[in-house]
Amino acid sequence: MGGKRKKGESDVVGVGEGEEEQQQQKKRQMLPSLIKNKEKRSAVHAKLKHEKKLEKRKKLKARDAAEKRALELGEEPPPKKIPRTIENTREFDETVCKPDDEELFAGNDADEFSSILKRECTPKILITTCRFNSTRGPAFISELLSIIPNAHYYKRGTYDLKKIVEYAKSKDFTSIIVVHTNRREPDALLIITLPDGPTAHFKLSNLVLRKDIKNHGNPTSHKPELVLTNFTTRLGHRIGRFIQSLFPQDPNFRGRRVVTFHNQRDFIFFRHHRYIFETKEIKQSNSDDKKFKDAKDEKIPQEKVIARLQECGPRFTLKLISLQHGTFDTKGGEYEWVHKPEMDTSRRRFFL
Amino acid sequence: MPRTSTVECPGCPPIRALTFDVLGLVKVVESRGKQGIPKVIERWGEPDSSRCVLAASINDRKDDPLLAVARKNGLIEVLNPLNGDALVTITKGGDGGLHVPEDDPIAGLHLLKKGRLESSSRLFTLLTCTKKGNASLKSIGITNSLSGSLCTSPKTWSISAVGEIFCSAVDGSENHALFGGKGVEINVWDLDKSSKIWTARSPPKNSLDIFTPTWFTAATFLDKEDHRKIVAGTNNHQVRLYDISAQRRPIISFNFRESPIKAVTEDLDGYTIYLGTGSGDLASIDMRTGKLLGCFVGKCSGSIRSIARHPELPVIASCGLDGYLRFWDVKTRQLLSAVFLKQQLTNVVIDSNFIGEEVSGIVVDPLSNVEQETNQTQVNEDGPPPVKRKKASKESEERKKPKHNKKSKVKDKDHSTSSPLLKPKRKSKKSAKDKDDDGS
Repeated sequence: MGGKRKKGESDVVGVGEGEEEQQQQKKRQMLPSLIKNKEKRSAVHAKLKHEKKLEKRKKLKARDAAEKRALELGEEPPPKKIPRTIENTREFDETVCKPDDEELFAGNDADEFSSILKRECTPKILITTCRFNSTRGPAFISELLSIIPNAHYYKRGTYDLKKIVEYAKSKDFTSIIVVHTNRREPDALLIITLPDGPTAHFKLSNLVLRKDIKNHGNPTSHKPELVLTNFTTRLGHRIGRFIQSLFPQDPNFRGRRVVTFHNQRDFIFFRHHRYIFETKEIKQSNSDDKKFKDAKDEKIPQEKVIARLQECGPRFTLKLISLQHGTFDTKGGEYEWVHKPEMDTSRRRFFL
Repeated sequence: MPRTSTVECPGCPPIRALTFDVLGLVKVVESRGKQGIPKVIERWGEPDSSRCVLAASINDRKDDPLLAVARKNGLIEVLNPLNGDALVTITKGGDGGLHVPEDDPIAGLHLLKKGRLESSSRLFTLLTCTKKGNASLKSIGITNSLSGSLCTSPKTWSISAVGEIFCSAVDGSENHALFGGKGVEINVWDLDKSSKIWTARSPPKNSLDIFTPTWFTAATFLDKEDHRKIVAGTNNHQVRLYDISAQRRPIISFNFRESPIKAVTEDLDGYTIYLGTGSGDLASIDMRTGKLLGCFVGKCSGSIRSIARHPELPVIASCGLDGYLRFWDVKTRQLLSAVFLKQQLTNVVIDSNFIGEEVSGIVVDPLSNVEQETNQTQVNEDGPPPVKRKKASKESEERKKPKHNKKSKVKDKDHSTSSPLLKPKRKSKKSAKDKDDDGS
């Protein structure tokens, strides 16, 4: 099959180099998956792959050379290309907060979290579980207690959640966190802001407890710093403030403890680190250590202050399922936002 | 393949809507031209959470329209809906109110269209109802001097001693008002005599012997002209139809989805209603049969607080906690357009006198189109003999609506329709046919 085509090609073109190129192009166009014989197919495939690899290497070399030449000549190096990702090709969203929106700030002042965020009152958190609770649940809760200052664990017993809400209101708690466990694995987080809502329901996944993290540190009892990234839309902004209201607003910087909520594609990643600034003269940058999370330092080959991170754990991922107006009320509650399947019209549409 | 372009919304006919939000802002949204894109034209008021709008009502008569707004801090403001000037501000304490506004917010506010006392044109009547069940009816006159307003002694009465009022409505003739709420069955009052004329009975226990406590969250009169038929939505996602002249228990009662019914609005045709629920579902339902006509789908994710029907165009506006004002086509149930208004919205009203274009000649077009269509459909429907129509009635549901629009517009048609709802459910299809005959 291939041979036949080659013949036809050479008949038409008939010149040495051009012919070869043409052949290569033809080969590339002909998909290996159309070949039925497996041996031939895999051979063609391997060849294609090899060619691609060579080409890529050539391209890289050319790019590097161009950059080097530009540096030598003292010109501007060619602009670095930005890869297209789902995030930076996100669908246009009119609800994204703008920094000059005065209504946004007025809304912030009026919302339920403003008393905590203005440091008029300190957060006090009640942590409880679902009715059945075992193994990973309590371990997770004990770590949550170490993360969130002024958090108190109460046994769930057989109380209704609405009763617990009433109780917590009378005891001046500002939030309730319910860790829901399914098959001995925490799988949902329900956070209720008191006294009058809202209530957020998160799916919890990829939970890694502290002891399962290699080289983990043990956190101190200092008040942590809080990093919230990428909460851009109105809903995201609200969720950001919601999470912020769980933590005291006066971090103790001596503790060098950071709690991060990083939003990416509507998933909220939780990380807990200790950091340290060190002055060091480094011989050469250790370029192989490019891992994002455990990145040791920025590789600058001079005497520099570097920040080193140590993860304290746990790690988990949250995804918002619903945000309900008012305190917990599944039957008669009004939702500010619920995820519905019809909203998933595109991979490039995000809500937070 | 990822979608690269967004879905185009077909745009709105000329329309003007006013929305009210939790920060007490009033925003005016207008769409101009034939298929315009609605935009925020004006914003009245300063953001202040204590001025959160609880209820609003518009009297959109041709000359001298009025807009009444009830706020969280107990103020009732009467505005001019054209430019937002405050005409009268009524503080509740000053006007014979017996209560502190903090623990007794206003639940319902209705600006009655006809003046009770016809002495001057600048006089209007306001029906208010607080959460604890204190209703009052007062006539307020606007004198020409800006600040001065005279207020006749309000007629007040107590609807119920227990429970909380959540919903209220006034019928088209404005002689009757209904109230309902948590622990308060739907009750109908005669406004002239301020006496209760009817109370609903709660439905019996279900097969498991469980009694669901009364909690009405939305209610309206099914027909503008008829005060006897009432549609109510409950907190446990039930929609009920009451007929005052028939019985005290609901005639039709059915469940809709799984979240509380937060808004119910009637259509002009007298049998269709629009429902909004606490999780953002919007649907239209034929109340003669209790059947779902269809849902309005379009990424609506927050609880719907208010629905408004345009009195002439086949358009409804809905708003809710997600901060969007959405315009929908009634017939196709398509989203015409959505406007993001940044705050959680509590109410929407439509100013029906709005003329979309400075040149009034163009504006008549959509209306006349509708009328042409209706004429056509009428011709079509008159064609086949009545026996066949019974079968076709289901398909012609879509076509029926414009005709009924016209019916309500042309008011000289007799509405001697004996209430078809009184008949049992089995005959409902036939009754639909009856109504057809009347209309055409």
